[in-house]
Amino acid sequence: MSAKLDTLAHNLNECLGERIVRHSLALDELTIEVRVADYLSVMRTLRDDPSLAFGQLVDLCGIDYSAYGSDVWTDPRFAVICHLLSLDNNWRLRVRVFAEDDSFPVVPSLTSLWTCADWFEREAFDLFGIVFPGHDDLRRILTDYGFVGYPFRKDFPVSGHVEMRYDPTQQRVIYQPVSIEPREVTPRIVREETYGNPRHG
Amino acid sequence: MGIEGVMQEGFVTTSADKLINYARTGSLWPMTFGLACCAIEMMHAGMSRYDLDRFGMIFRPSPRQSDLMVIAGTLTNKMAPALRKVYDQMAEPRWVLSMGSCANGGGYYHYSYSVVRGCDRIVPVDVYVPGCPPTAEALIYGLIQLQNKIRRTSTIAR
Repeated sequence: MSAKLDTLAHNLNECLGERIVRHSLALDELTIEVRVADYLSVMRTLRDDPSLAFGQLVDLCGIDYSAYGSDVWTDPRFAVICHLLSLDNNWRLRVRVFAEDDSFPVVPSLTSLWTCADWFEREAFDLFGIVFPGHDDLRRILTDYGFVGYPFRKDFPVSGHVEMRYDPTQQRVIYQPVSIEPREVTPRIVREETYGNPRHG
Repeated sequence: MGIEGVMQEGFVTTSADKLINYARTGSLWPMTFGLACCAIEMMHAGMSRYDLDRFGMIFRPSPRQSDLMVIAGTLTNKMAPALRKVYDQMAEPRWVLSMGSCANGGGYYHYSYSVVRGCDRIVPVDVYVPGCPPTAEALIYGLIQLQNKIRRTSTIAR
C-alpha cells in the first residue's frame, strides 16, 4: 500500500470509525461499505471533512448481485456504488451500500450533496429499479417512454418483452410482443496448445 | 438527351422522364440525420475528401427540403417514432437509404431489448449499405446505386 493510501485509510478510520462495515484494498483502490442508514451521513462526512475532502462524485451506479460468483451470495441483491474523487488530496474512494429490501430496493438520494448525482440516480432507477428518496425528479432517463421493467436486472430477458414496428393502418409506430427466440451465446475458447509458450512464440 | 437540334435550330429534345430523372438524381438532397457512429462516415462522405456536393447532394437541415433520408446508425425504440415523423414530413418523391448493420437488421444489437431490428420495420427502404460502419466509399456506392434505381423509374407510365 502506498503512503498516500495509508493516509487515506487512516483518515477514513478516524472520521468514520464504526460506520464502515467492511473495507477492502485491491489494485491500489480502496473500497468501503456502509449501511443504508449511515449512507447520507457518511457521504456528508466524506465531502465536508477537510482530511478527506471528496469534493467530486465521479460516478454512481447500481449493481445486481444475483447469481454473483460461484459461492452462495448471502448479501442483499442490489447495491449502489459511488466513486469519489478528492481534488484537494488527489485520492479516490469507492463506496458501496447495499439496499436492504430485494423486492423494493431503496437508497437515499445524494442530490443534496452532489448535484451531479441527479442523472446517475435516474440511470440507476431506470436500469435497476433502485428508488432514491430525496430525488426531485426520479424518472426514466435512457429507455423508451412507457418502458416496462428494469433491463439491467439479471432476470430481465436480453431481447425484452416487446418490439417495435410501424403499423400502416394506425399510421404510427406500435409495440408488439417480441417475435424472436432468445439466443444463448456460449463462449468458445479457441487456443492452441502452445499458446503463451515463449519457445513457440 | 438528344442534341440533334442544338446546332441548327437552337433547341434540345428529350423525354420528360429523362429530364425529371436527371433533375432528381442530380440534386438528391439528404436529410441531416445521424443516429450513431455511421453518421461519422456519412460526414466523411459529405466532407471535402469524398465530397458529396459534386453529386449535387447537399445535406439539408429540414425534412421538408429533403429527398433522401440516410438512416446512419442504430435505430432505437425511443428514436423510432421520431424517425417515422421525420420521414412523414418529407415531401414525395422520397427515398430512404439504410446505412450500416444496425439500420439494416439490428446488427450487433439484433437481440437487444431497446433496438429496432432493422429500420425497414419503421420506414420503407430503397438501398441497404452493409458494413459496420460502411466506409464513405461504400456509402457513395450505395448512393450511386440509388441514383441508378431512380433512373429506372418512369414517372409518366405508358
